[in-house]
Amino acid sequence: MKKTIAMLLAASMVCPLAACGGAKKAPEGGEIKIGTISPNTGAMAVYGEAMVNAYDMAAAEINADGGINGKKVVLVKKDDQMDPTESLNAFNALVAEGVDVVLGAVSSGCTAAITDAANEEEVLLLTPTSTADSITTKDDYVFRTCYADSFQGKIAAKYAKDLGCKEVGVLYCAADTYSKGLYDSFANACKDYGINVVAAESAATMETIEFSNQWAAIKAKGVGFVFAPFYYYTVGPYVVPQARTAGYTGIIMGADGYDSANNYISQGSDLSAWNNVMFTNHYDPADKNPVVKKFVTNYKTKYNDTPNALAALAYDGLYMIKKAMEKAGAEDAKSVRDALADTSTVYKGVTGTFTLDKSGTPVKGATVVEYYYDKANNKVATKLRDVVKKLD
Amino acid sequence: MMNKNTKLKGYLVNTVALAVLLMAFLILNANFKTPFYSVVFIPSLWQISYLIILAASLNLVLGFLGQLSLGHCGFMAIGAYTAALLSLYFERAGIFTDKKAPVFIVSILVSLLAGGLLAAIVGIIVGIPALRLKGDYLAIITLGFGMIICNVINNLPFAGMEGLSKGSAAASLYKTGLGFGNTLKTKYAWVAIVITILCLAAMFMFIRSRFGRAIESIRDDEIAASASGINVSLYKVGTFVYSAFFAGIAGGLFACCNSSLSTASFAFTNGSILNSTFIVVMVVVGGMGSLTGSMLSAVLMFLLNYVIKNVIKASGMPLFVQNLFKYPMLVYAIVLIIVIMFKPKGILGTREFSLVNTIEYIKGKLGKKAVKEGGSK
Repeated sequence: MKKTIAMLLAASMVCPLAACGGAKKAPEGGEIKIGTISPNTGAMAVYGEAMVNAYDMAAAEINADGGINGKKVVLVKKDDQMDPTESLNAFNALVAEGVDVVLGAVSSGCTAAITDAANEEEVLLLTPTSTADSITTKDDYVFRTCYADSFQGKIAAKYAKDLGCKEVGVLYCAADTYSKGLYDSFANACKDYGINVVAAESAATMETIEFSNQWAAIKAKGVGFVFAPFYYYTVGPYVVPQARTAGYTGIIMGADGYDSANNYISQGSDLSAWNNVMFTNHYDPADKNPVVKKFVTNYKTKYNDTPNALAALAYDGLYMIKKAMEKAGAEDAKSVRDALADTSTVYKGVTGTFTLDKSGTPVKGATVVEYYYDKANNKVATKLRDVVKKLD
Repeated sequence: MMNKNTKLKGYLVNTVALAVLLMAFLILNANFKTPFYSVVFIPSLWQISYLIILAASLNLVLGFLGQLSLGHCGFMAIGAYTAALLSLYFERAGIFTDKKAPVFIVSILVSLLAGGLLAAIVGIIVGIPALRLKGDYLAIITLGFGMIICNVINNLPFAGMEGLSKGSAAASLYKTGLGFGNTLKTKYAWVAIVITILCLAAMFMFIRSRFGRAIESIRDDEIAASASGINVSLYKVGTFVYSAFFAGIAGGLFACCNSSLSTASFAFTNGSILNSTFIVVMVVVGGMGSLTGSMLSAVLMFLLNYVIKNVIKASGMPLFVQNLFKYPMLVYAIVLIIVIMFKPKGILGTREFSLVNTIEYIKGKLGKKAVKEGGSK
C-alpha cells in the first residue's frame, strides 16, 4: 500500500514534467503569448498579486476590444518569490515556451538578474516597476514603465531643500540595489542643493525589523528630515513606529516602496506616528483624469480593492506593449524593440503621459503622497501633496 | 566485507560508466540544439549540480558526523563571492579577455578552488569553537553564522551591492567575470558535470577512508570513540572544514550559473529552495548517511520546485490544481512529512546506491527467475 502511494506520488511529480517538454514553441495563429514574472508568493506577494490582477484586467480589456493586431493576448504568468535565481528560471522557462515579450520582474534585484539574459536571448523585457538606474542601458532589449531611482532620490532632496532643511539624515540598506540606488541619488542631489547628509545609518537587510539604534543615532544629530527608502512590509510595522518611539518627530520621506504601507500597521499601534510621513509615487488613485478614473473604478469593481501604484504600472506596461506592437505591425521581439526604441512615441497611461528616453526609461513626473492620521475614521489615510513634472 | 577484488571492480565499473555517460552527454550537447535544451535543460543541470554538491557536503556533517549545522549557505556565500571577485580581478588584470578561450576555464577553476579554500578557512575559524558545543547549541551557532556572513558580505566595500554592482546592476557578472549566459552554459556544461563528479568522488573517498569510519564511530558513540583513541575534536573540525570546502565550491558554481549575486539568495529568509534549512531537508529526505541519497533528493527537490513554479502554474492546468500549489512552501513541507511517514530514515536510509551491487542484484534476480522457470517446467 505504502509503496503504491509512493509510486503514485512519484508518478504525479514526473507527469507534469513530460508536459513541460511538449510545450509549444511558437504561438498559434490567433494568439500572442506575453510572459509575466512577479513575486506571487513570499514577502512581496502584495505587489505580485496586485500586478497579476492588473495584467489580467488589461488583457481582458484588450481582448474585448479586438486584441492586438487582431490577435488575442494570452498571459503566461510565473512566480519568482522575489528570488533572483527563480526569476532567471522563470525567464528561461518563458523563453522555452516561445514567448517573445516578457513583463517583469518586480524588484530591481530580480530584474537585474535577467536583463542580460534578455539581451542574449533577444527577448523583449519590459519591467513595469524596477526603478534602479542600472536596469536599462543604452541600446538593448530592456525597457521600463516607471521612472528611475535617480529621479526619485532627486525629488526627495528637492523636498528637503524646499522645506528649508540644511541638514538631513538617511536610513537605508547598503545591501539592496533599490535602497542603495535611492540613497546614492539622494546624496548626490543633496550635494547639488547644498544640503549636508549628517547621518547615514544602514540596516543589514531589507527584512530588518529593528531600527531603534539607527533612529537613536539620527535623533542625536538633531535633523528634521530623514530619507528612509524601504519596502512597505517593514515600513508599516517597524520603520515609522520605531522612529517615533525613539523620539524622532520630523519628516520621514520614502520612495515608491511605501505604497500600501498603511495596510501593514500593527494592530493597536499609535496611528499619530504617521503624520509627517510622505513618499514619492507613480500615480494618485484620487486623480480626476478620466484614464485614471476608469482604471480605478474597473479595478475596484473587479477586485474590491484600490489599486496600488504597482498595479497601475503593470496595467500601463501591457498597454505600452500593445501600442508598440500595433506601431510595428508585428509581434516578434525585434520589431517590438524597434518600436519601443523610437523616442518620439507618446504613451498615455494611468501613471501619466510620457515618452521613453534613449535608454528605455520613461520621462515623466512623480506624485508626492503624504500619509496622515485620519482621526475621524481612526485610520491612516493618504493625500496628494504635490505633482512634480520636472526638476530644476 | 568488501575484498580488494570487488573494490577494484567497483572503481572500474563506476569509472567506465561515468566516462560513457559523459561521452554520451558531450555528443548530445554538440548535436542537440533545441531552445528547450539550452534554455531550460542546461540551466537546470547547472542548478542541480550545485544543489547536489551542497546537499552531499552537508550530509558529511549531518549524516556521517551527526552534527546539525544550519549555516551551510553561509559557506556557499563565501565561496560564491570569493570566486566572483577573483574572476573579476583576473579579467581586470588581463589574464582572460575572451570567455571562449581555454584560459578562461583555467581561471574559473582557480576561482572556484579559491572560493572553496576560503570557505574552508572560515570553516576552521567557526568550527573550532562551535564544535565544542552539541546538538541544539551547535545548530544555533551555525544558524547565527549563516546570518552574520550575509551581513558581513553586504557591508564589505568591495563585495556586497557596492562592489559587484559597478556595471549593469547586480548582473555585472554576465558580461564580466565568471558569469555564464545560456550559450556559455551549454558550451561549458561539462565543467559543471566534471566538478560535481570530482567533488562527489572526493567525498566518497573521504567516507570510505579511515577518517570516514572514525567520524561514523563518533556519530554512533562519542565516548566509545574517544576511548578507542580517536581524537574527537580534530575529526569533528576536520569534517566540518572538509564539508565547508565543498559548500564553497558549490557557491562558485552558483555564481557561474546565476551571473548575478545578491546575499538575498543565501539569506535565511530566502523563500525558495536555496536556504540552509532547505539543504537540511534535502539531506533528511535523501537519507542521513547516504551520499547517493542526497544526490537523489537534491534532484527531486529541484524538480519539485521547478515543476510547481514553472509547469503547474503555467496556464493549461485546471484551476484547482493550480490553487493546490499556490503556496510552494507548503508543498515542500508536505513532501517532507510524507517521506518521514513512509521512510523515517529518508529515501535511501544509510544505504548507498552502487552500480556493481545493482548489477549483481539484477543478475541474481534473473538467475532466480531462470531457476524458477526451470523448476515449473
